[in-house]
Amino acid sequence: MTDDLRRLVYYSRNRTAGAPEAVDATIRAILATSRINNARVGVTGALMFNAGCFAQVLEGPSDAVEATFERIQQDERHGDVALLAYEAVESRLFTDWSMAYVGASKAEADRYGDVADTSGFDIARMTGDRLCAVLHGLALEEEAAIAA
Amino acid sequence: MPAPSAVTSRSAGPFEAALAEMATPLLLLDAGGTVTFANDRAVVLFAGSMPVGRTLAALFAARGAAEPQALDEALRAGRPAREGLALDGGRRVEAALAPLSSGGFALTFDDVTEHVRSAALARLEPLTGLCNRAELHERLGAELAAAERVGAPLAVLLLDLDRFKAVNDTLGHPVGDALLRKVAERLRNAARREDVIARLGGDEFALVQVGRAGADQSRAAEALAARLVDLVGRTYVLDGQMLNVGASVGIALYPADGRGADDLLKHADLALYRAKADGRATYRFFEPAMNAAVQARRSLEIDLRRALALKQFTLAFQPQISLETGAVSGFEALLRWHHPERGPISPATFIPLAEEIGIIVGIGEWALRTACREAASWAQPVSIAVNLSPIQFRGGKLVETVMLVLAQTGLDPARLELEITEGALLDDTDGVLTVLNGLRGLGVRISMDDFGTGYSSLSYLQKFPFDKIKIDQSFVRGMAGSAECGAIVRAIARLGASLGMRITAEGVETADQLDAIRAEGCTEVQGYLTGRPMPADQAAALLI
Repeated sequence: MTDDLRRLVYYSRNRTAGAPEAVDATIRAILATSRINNARVGVTGALMFNAGCFAQVLEGPSDAVEATFERIQQDERHGDVALLAYEAVESRLFTDWSMAYVGASKAEADRYGDVADTSGFDIARMTGDRLCAVLHGLALEEEAAIAA
Repeated sequence: MPAPSAVTSRSAGPFEAALAEMATPLLLLDAGGTVTFANDRAVVLFAGSMPVGRTLAALFAARGAAEPQALDEALRAGRPAREGLALDGGRRVEAALAPLSSGGFALTFDDVTEHVRSAALARLEPLTGLCNRAELHERLGAELAAAERVGAPLAVLLLDLDRFKAVNDTLGHPVGDALLRKVAERLRNAARREDVIARLGGDEFALVQVGRAGADQSRAAEALAARLVDLVGRTYVLDGQMLNVGASVGIALYPADGRGADDLLKHADLALYRAKADGRATYRFFEPAMNAAVQARRSLEIDLRRALALKQFTLAFQPQISLETGAVSGFEALLRWHHPERGPISPATFIPLAEEIGIIVGIGEWALRTACREAASWAQPVSIAVNLSPIQFRGGKLVETVMLVLAQTGLDPARLELEITEGALLDDTDGVLTVLNGLRGLGVRISMDDFGTGYSSLSYLQKFPFDKIKIDQSFVRGMAGSAECGAIVRAIARLGASLGMRITAEGVETADQLDAIRAEGCTEVQGYLTGRPMPADQAAALLI
């Protein structure tokens, strides 16, 4: 299937802004289901989040990536999904599911530090790819916008 | 009578053999309803349980069917009956009971499993698996009857995809079909289980939102419509591509907007039309005024379609005066429609309609030919200006048409000025520029009409060397009271002069305005002060 490898990059503003505990639970649930459902169909990637947005990279066979993204599009909690790229790639940037809190808030960083640790999120890989770097930047802007 | 104990009796004569081996399952029953004979097919149908010696009820119970009530009653009454029965494993049979003259009954079975399945399929639209139009009508009728019984409201929503044709045209039908399947999936996801969803063909879908008695259906329908516009309008990825289409939705409510299926669908369609007219990617509720507006438009459309054939169009000619010499430098041909009953109809009303229904091309060609023929007969070789609609640039025949008209009328191409508005350059700018250059190649001149009211005028002036700019009348009229209008007229006049274009001021009505535009450097004037639009003979007389 390596000849049909695709990478999809999107971000969406956070519509379920609620109490920290609720966001916390949502984030952990998303990571859990991402790992189980997506791994089964060969989709890996990275999920970044902060108070402002979710940003996600999906990598895998086109059928699986398209089906996964369609599920996201049908989820009303994802408002304003901006699809930044959907392209054929030679190899994966993320071979597993990784997930990270990406933001400037120290308190939030501490709160979600363990999520990133256990998921093996590597920001260096994120910023290594131009698009993913853009995504990273957007995530930071969304956080700043919420804080403003 | 066959032997009671025999399942099949091959030792008997040809009649017994035929009964035993015929293709239709057959049971013979005694007067009490107990099976006395089962042929081969009947044994297969009731696989596993030996029919002979059992009652009908016991036999059917063993196959998971409900008690055959109609058959039981008929058995007791000694009369024939038919009954459809569902067996386990999804099999459906139709049983026919017939009393025999020799006593007892014959019971035969038709396997209708396939019929029922294909009937169900016939109700579905094959691409998406949603209901088809016929099924929608039937389900809507049933829901309306139920709603009327319990006094519940109901909403009909029609949904149409924006830009779907572009997907089909550029990416091909397989991608278009895949997109429609995803749209159907999103509709299913957005609606509730009890709602009816149908694809009516092309990119048009319908939803029947079933309400509960006392519910605020208007609010529920609005929430659903907003959800549909949001969900269906989100980006799709399929076949390795990113796709964007929008959704427009029209809503009609039962009972407020109609009591019958046809009325509700028609009214939802009118609301959909309004949603699309209001810029798409939105929803609109039906309003009674839409009915009247559409009827009026349809009636005007019918009249407009035959106006050309009935010779109801005429041209009026408005003089253009050279500010340098004070003489008539040309005329602009203006289209007039005089309807025998409606009277004169404003071009602002009928030209947009003619553009929308596509007949502007024929009308425009008539106007061009008539104006050129008239001008060719004038005593002086002054110019004749004719307006072109943006629609005339599509179809790739405009240059050919103008060439033909010039040849037919014998008019010197240098006397013809074709006027376009910025609207013509909006879509497919490059294609339109190619046509303009082709027209210029014929020796025809090109004017930019209504200058200043459009979008990014300066970039168009840079892209094509217009022979003339016509300053919109709103600026000329505003000059007296507004320094800004004066400044705009001055700026356009200077711009034109530096680009080598002549400048006509439109809508000049007073001597003060004439003095002002003369001072600002315009080269020509057109307006009520210097001459109203007039019939052809009067225009010709001015040149003698």
